[in-house]
Amino acid sequence: MYPVWQVPVMGSALVIAFIASFHILPSHLATSAFWFNVYVEDKAYKEDRPELLEFIKKYVLVILIFSFIFGSLSGVGIWYAVTVSNPKGISALIHNYVWGWASEWVFFIIEILAIYIYYYTLGRVDDRTHLTIGLIYAIGSWISMVIITGIISFMLSPGKWLRTGGFFDGFFNPTYLPQLLMRTSFMFAIAGLYAIVVAGTLKNREVASFIVRRASVWGMAGAVLAALFFKLYLWSLPDTAKELYGMSVLVGTVPDIAVAAFIALFVWFIVVWIRPQLARLVPGVLAILILLAGIFSAESVRERIRKPYVIDHYMYSNQIIPNDMVAKGVQGEMGTIDREGILHYSYFVPEGLRTIDDADLLRSGRIIAQIECSACHTLESNGWLRPLPAMMEKAGLVTVDDTQAFIGFLDSFPFMPQFAGTAAEKRALAAYLVSIRPHPAGAPAGRATIGKIHR
Amino acid sequence: MTNIGAMLKSLQDPMGVPFYPLVFQVLLVITFALHIIFVNLVVGGVFMSVYGYFKKGGHYRPLAKSFAKATTINFSLLIVLGVAPLLFMQVIYDPFWYTSNVLSAAWMVGVVFALMAAFSFVYVFYLKITKERKHIGVWGVAAFLLIILVGVTMHAVSYQALFPEQWVRWYVGGSTADFSGTILHAFQLPRFLHFMVASFAITGIFMMVYSWYFKDRDDMDRSYLVWVGKAGAKMAVVFTVLQMAVGVWWLLSVPANFQFYKNPVFIAAGILAVVLLLVLIEAQSNPQRYALPTAGLALISVLGMTSAREALRVLYAGRYDYSVYSYKLNLSYGSTVLFAVTFLMGIVIVGYMLTVVFKMGRSSKPIDLSSLKLRTWSVYLMIAWVLMMIGIGVAIAS
Ligand code: HEC
Ligand code: HEM
Repeated sequence: MYPVWQVPVMGSALVIAFIASFHILPSHLATSAFWFNVYVEDKAYKEDRPELLEFIKKYVLVILIFSFIFGSLSGVGIWYAVTVSNPKGISALIHNYVWGWASEWVFFIIEILAIYIYYYTLGRVDDRTHLTIGLIYAIGSWISMVIITGIISFMLSPGKWLRTGGFFDGFFNPTYLPQLLMRTSFMFAIAGLYAIVVAGTLKNREVASFIVRRASVWGMAGAVLAALFFKLYLWSLPDTAKELYGMSVLVGTVPDIAVAAFIALFVWFIVVWIRPQLARLVPGVLAILILLAGIFSAESVRERIRKPYVIDHYMYSNQIIPNDMVAKGVQGEMGTIDREGILHYSYFVPEGLRTIDDADLLRSGRIIAQIECSACHTLESNGWLRPLPAMMEKAGLVTVDDTQAFIGFLDSFPFMPQFAGTAAEKRALAAYLVSIRPHPAGAPAGRATIGKIHR
Repeated sequence: MTNIGAMLKSLQDPMGVPFYPLVFQVLLVITFALHIIFVNLVVGGVFMSVYGYFKKGGHYRPLAKSFAKATTINFSLLIVLGVAPLLFMQVIYDPFWYTSNVLSAAWMVGVVFALMAAFSFVYVFYLKITKERKHIGVWGVAAFLLIILVGVTMHAVSYQALFPEQWVRWYVGGSTADFSGTILHAFQLPRFLHFMVASFAITGIFMMVYSWYFKDRDDMDRSYLVWVGKAGAKMAVVFTVLQMAVGVWWLLSVPANFQFYKNPVFIAAGILAVVLLLVLIEAQSNPQRYALPTAGLALISVLGMTSAREALRVLYAGRYDYSVYSYKLNLSYGSTVLFAVTFLMGIVIVGYMLTVVFKMGRSSKPIDLSSLKLRTWSVYLMIAWVLMMIGIGVAIAS
């Protein structure tokens, strides 16, 4: 086991969530925008309307700065955040998909060169060459989505891979195609949304309304298709994920936010289609923020219905591999950990705490909670992510004995992993949990309860 | 020692690697060399643009502007070229890389924000200097400092990875524990300087190439170009000498029992560096003429140096009986071929695009390049790639 990175109060999972949700806007812009761009540029040449090029120039600069500073760096940021929060999880992905990522990297190089060349050669090379560079960018960035979707959907539904370990068996998994179709359709809607914002800043209002009307048609078409493919996606989910999708403790009102955002955007497209002059900067940016809320909710549902796994049925969120994976010769860790104890199994434990004794019971318990629970729960009572003290209260656990029994059946909740470790470790964790729980009125703090087990 | 070896072994990914480790190692070295060259160009480029901005007189202002613009592009390339070694590193050195990253986790996540700030500042500086705005030095200086900070972190994390016997102590420090990842635990000054000093040598060579590339443009000032070439050549030679001194210092600070001065990879890299220095001395009289051979040789020398750096890592890791070559294999021919095909396709498309830039940059007027054969081929190749994936997908599904 690798060491665990502990982020006070916030929890490392939320660090990832924040960076990842920020990454959404620039990255979707990067993959979508050029389809619209090339379409408009082509029109400009074919219908001899050079005034449309003013739009092109502005649009590309927005993409360049927004996507290639903040987009590419937040992408690296997700990777780093995942690396330090869940090293064994990313390791598993990389050891399966390194060639997939390496192929994606080839397209990254193509994209970067293409966008800079496109920007700096506008008006300096012939039209056909310029359009070709734009098209190379558009196809290349879409292909990077084709690849990354394979890896993201693999985590949710590895499908045949669990049996065969085959690269393509995992890549073309049951939710891959619906997700790809959904993301591709929605990509056009996003391109439209951004184009409307940029058009709102144009001086030539005639060009602006032309762009806005076209963009809103793209937006509506993309949105309708995406909604259809979303249905297909839900239908393709593995049964366990479907079950979790129906559980309100887990997903709560999150899907409703996504749906509301979706409807709001659709209305926005209709409004600007009827009255393009309403497409000004401020409402346009507002629409983008609504988009962010929508995508964030949708992605976070995808994260939640994967619980308790980081890679479905292969590795738990807390980096423990429960079962053998025969095709790749991987041995499950559960048996060993139950026998040796998690504090012996992990290297990164203070020497004195490895063997449970009463004097250090709570400190050992805390380390265990850090290793096995902190991926999904913060330990502080003011923590942001399902804080354990509050969870204890919710479960109505007061005594160490009850808590220990509860831990033994943790996996009876479909979203939590089975506890791994010895009976003594279970007890240490239980004692620690009881000590951090808010105390029922009248009881003189946790000492009394801990005192009991010292006897 | 043996139990540290066992720890490293147990941290390796249980699924093994999908192709021979040597291939990943070679890719790691090559892509890291490209990464570090662009790190050099960004460090040197930001420095020169700020320096030129403050110097004002003579040819410095146009030089500062050119560097400001080039740095925006180089920064993007630096990032994307950093991604590849990041990937390959995690394939064969995962126990080292992941642990070291977690130990300084807050720094590694912080680096991302420092990079965003630095890159934005570089852009602000570029947009403002083109418009001849005043009091913009602060953007450039801030960017420079942030970039150095990122370099410091990158170095510390790469370096502390080499000391697994210290990890547990760094992490839990006996009986207390620091899990916040807010500390950098190791730093080796000569190694760090070896990357920073090189920046100015590489940037000097970049100036020579710049001077050569634009020499036929009728709208460029001849005397300016000659000046840039000379200044670059001088900078390159001075800093290459310094770089060698720092290199010797580094050599003296690696563990003596490695006997690294006897290492063939290191010796080869050293010889290349000496040859580069000789060529640079020769180039002083006519930098434009020597620009391309010098740049080519510099590229090879950097490759030599990064290979030596890898040889050093092999020795460090060998202290705990860790060898990448004994990594468990789980061959995946299909995905290896996918990458190979994609890579070849990439070369063609990148080749096409570089041809376009090269020709365009050389001409002061708009030019017609529509007859380049690679133009349509590039698009067809990408379509063929998509069709190939559809084919595989259908085959898998049925
Ligand atoms: C894969 C993520 C995950 C891990 C790992 C995890 N939990 Fe949970 N846990 C959850 C979720 C999700 C909930 C439901 C949240 C809610 O009720 O708001 C939950 C709820 C709980 C509850 C409240 C149960 C109830 O009756 O409502 C307790 C107590 C709890 N967890 C304890 C633990 C302990 C102790 C560990 C470590 C051994 C742990 N969890 C590890 C995801 C996880
Ligand atoms: C301003 C930005 C950057 C600077 C100044 C910088 C500098 C450096 C330096 C000096 C090293 C060598 C450290 C050593 O061996 O002691 C290094 C290594 C490395 N860098 Fe960067 N870097 C930057 C950005 C990035 C980015 C954005 C990435 C990833 C996307 C990245 C990925 C890497 C990797 C993976 C290594 C380790 C390679 C190895 O050890 O073989 N770097 N960097």
